[in-house]
Amino acid sequence: MYRVDITADLNDEDETGYVWTFLDEARDPAQIIPGALVVAGDPEAAAVCQVIDLAPAGDGTIVHLRLLPGLVDDYRALIERSLAS
Amino acid sequence: MAGERIEQRSRLRAEQPPATTTLVIRGGRDTPDKLRSHAERTARAWSLDGVPLLGISVFAVLDLPLDDLLRRRFATFRTIYLPTAGQLDEHGFELLPTGQEPHFTLRLHRADDRELAQLLSALGAPKPNPQYARSMIWRREED
Repeated sequence: MYRVDITADLNDEDETGYVWTFLDEARDPAQIIPGALVVAGDPEAAAVCQVIDLAPAGDGTIVHLRLLPGLVDDYRALIERSLAS
Repeated sequence: MAGERIEQRSRLRAEQPPATTTLVIRGGRDTPDKLRSHAERTARAWSLDGVPLLGISVFAVLDLPLDDLLRRRFATFRTIYLPTAGQLDEHGFELLPTGQEPHFTLRLHRADDRELAQLLSALGAPKPNPQYARSMIWRREED
């Protein structure tokens, strides 16, 4: 189970080719800024993503996300290696 | 910051619908509640002919072999659905060519319990993704 920064359907894409979701689906919308790395998806299917941009759509703001390679667990292992003394 | 729904009619790709034997991929394990939430998100952002567009995202296996598409786009999903376009059509679901090929929006009309149950039936049983954790994310300009 994952605790995501922003809920998204990782299947969703628009004409940009990026995953998209709404900013108000973020746990802390203030963290969702272009360039930020976030975990997106839902508790069962999540991925590390980079925030590309934000754009108005419908009654809110759409966030475009670039899916990054690998699993969330791969990034955890990377961090643990890098911080090991 | 808010705006109008993004009208999809003029953005639909001009192409023939997928053949009935074309495989269609959807990543993850869906439930009626998840599908409803995803369909409503689409309707919140997109419209078709001025009406909020209820739909969920799927990908068709067109130019890329199945395993390549799974590896490039679905490697974070443990499970996938893999119906054919014909199976979706038999259940009355239309595929709209939205976004970049091979993305499609599977159109819903009400996203109520009955239609979502039909959709889950049309998607078939979830299958293990043979390319789970196998690699990279696909972006078209990198091809």
